[in-house]
Amino acid sequence: MRYKNRLEQAQLAIRLTLLLGLALGITVADTLTNLEIAAGVFQIVVVLIAVSFLPRRGVIAMAAFCMLLTVVSYRLTRFGEAEAGLINCLISLAAIACTTYLALRMSAAIRAVHQARELLEHSARTNMLGALTASIAHEVNQPLAAIATSGNAGLRWMAAEPANLPKARQALERIIADAHRASEIIARVRSMAQRRPPTKEWLNVADTVNGIVQLLHSELDKQSVTLRLDIPSGLPPMLADRVQIPQVLLNLVMNAMQAMGHTDPDRRILELSVACDARNYLHFSVSDQGSGLGADDCERVFDAFYTTRLDGMGIGLTISRSIIEAHEGRIWASANPELGATFHFTLPGGHKETP
Amino acid sequence: MKDPVIQTPADPVVYVVDDDASVRASLEDLLASMGLNCLTFASAREFAESPRADAPGCLILDVRMPGMSGLDFQDEMLRGGISLPVIFITAHGDIPMSVRAMKAGALEFLTKPFREQDLLDAIARGLSHDRQRREVAQGLADLQRRYASLSEGERSVMDLVVTGLLNKQVAARLGVSEVTVKVRRGALMKKMQADSLADLVRLSERLKVGSSR
Repeated sequence: MRYKNRLEQAQLAIRLTLLLGLALGITVADTLTNLEIAAGVFQIVVVLIAVSFLPRRGVIAMAAFCMLLTVVSYRLTRFGEAEAGLINCLISLAAIACTTYLALRMSAAIRAVHQARELLEHSARTNMLGALTASIAHEVNQPLAAIATSGNAGLRWMAAEPANLPKARQALERIIADAHRASEIIARVRSMAQRRPPTKEWLNVADTVNGIVQLLHSELDKQSVTLRLDIPSGLPPMLADRVQIPQVLLNLVMNAMQAMGHTDPDRRILELSVACDARNYLHFSVSDQGSGLGADDCERVFDAFYTTRLDGMGIGLTISRSIIEAHEGRIWASANPELGATFHFTLPGGHKETP
Repeated sequence: MKDPVIQTPADPVVYVVDDDASVRASLEDLLASMGLNCLTFASAREFAESPRADAPGCLILDVRMPGMSGLDFQDEMLRGGISLPVIFITAHGDIPMSVRAMKAGALEFLTKPFREQDLLDAIARGLSHDRQRREVAQGLADLQRRYASLSEGERSVMDLVVTGLLNKQVAARLGVSEVTVKVRRGALMKKMQADSLADLVRLSERLKVGSSR
């Protein structure tokens, strides 16, 4: 962390130095040229660059420095007409001031957009967490209510004159059963949330993919999506979980189909290909002609609760990533040159002589 | 009095509607341990379709159930004329939920797991409310029965007498003799069990309010 901070500081220092150099260079050019040539106007470039990495105060300081340099340059310039020089100097100053003002306004607006998006993401996340906790609380509170009520009933049976022990015993038995039920509910919730280590076995790649295709046949037809499979023969087997890897493939294919919801039906082509690279890694890719991904999306689609769909939860790809990583593979996304996106993942392949 | 309407007070019944079998069983047992009659149902539909005892009662209703929710069933009860006091129990309640329930006239809104005392207090309150409501309803039914036992002549005399007319005026209105009016008046006072004219006026008011409801 500290190392990273230091690196960032060094980068900042270098950038600042370069920027100051540029400002001084412009000043020198301004000084050497005639007074009629308003080279000082180019100081706006310095301001525009400053906005991209300096805080608000830094930008203002930089602009003030540029204006100072412009005035100094005007005083030092020996050639040309003084009146034209004064006017040019004033124009340069006004240009720098205006640019600074507009650039700061723009960066404030961009910051506001970022903040709004973060807020939105946060609220979507908390909404879902709220719904989740509500349902867990409901499930757990049922047996708890039964336990408390049975406990009260048991106390009353025992306090009766004469004490009704068979009834009290029944109440205790119900309490035990409900306590077990509550712990089962908690175990279920935990198993949902937990990362289960995959139970790996040797799987044939073509069989696995064909299993998915069969599952999706009617769905592909319904959405009039054409599936192109590219699975060369002679691929090594993969050591993978029988349920989890198909789950990842299914997730990627379903995403691809959904992404093509607005694509012209003739162009709804989904390509699923598998290849084996030199390091004996199996390389799966699922490519669509859909709405595609922005540069930012490619980085973030795997983050929890991040989604590009209106109705998406932002869960599927997060789970896919954890599955692939548990298989010692890698998963990533890229935008297609023309249309749509491609999702890739790799899995270590087995040796060809192993079954 | 031919028809003794004041019955021996029947034992009160607590109805429990909850989709969770454990909650139902434990509530039934708790109420049994206190000597309260209890009938349990797995759904609102099941409760609505079963006959109810002619006894004071109150309803313990779960909010979240598959099929009809407790809150929706409360609305349906109001429309369908089932006037049992309702105690809501819920495993996960929020404020809008409880506001809706209380506005619709719920007696109590308890979150599971609830404290025994809270539930018992609510049940006691519910049963006493229902007992009072039944007494009022019974009194009115009794009065209506007495009024129905009047002959047509007696009823027309009563309707005019309670407006403040004198016997003479009533006789003139109905076109009968004053003696007939006096005889009918005596008979109807007895049948209505009214001690005085003021008493009769009061009974007649109650009848009007009761029938307009």
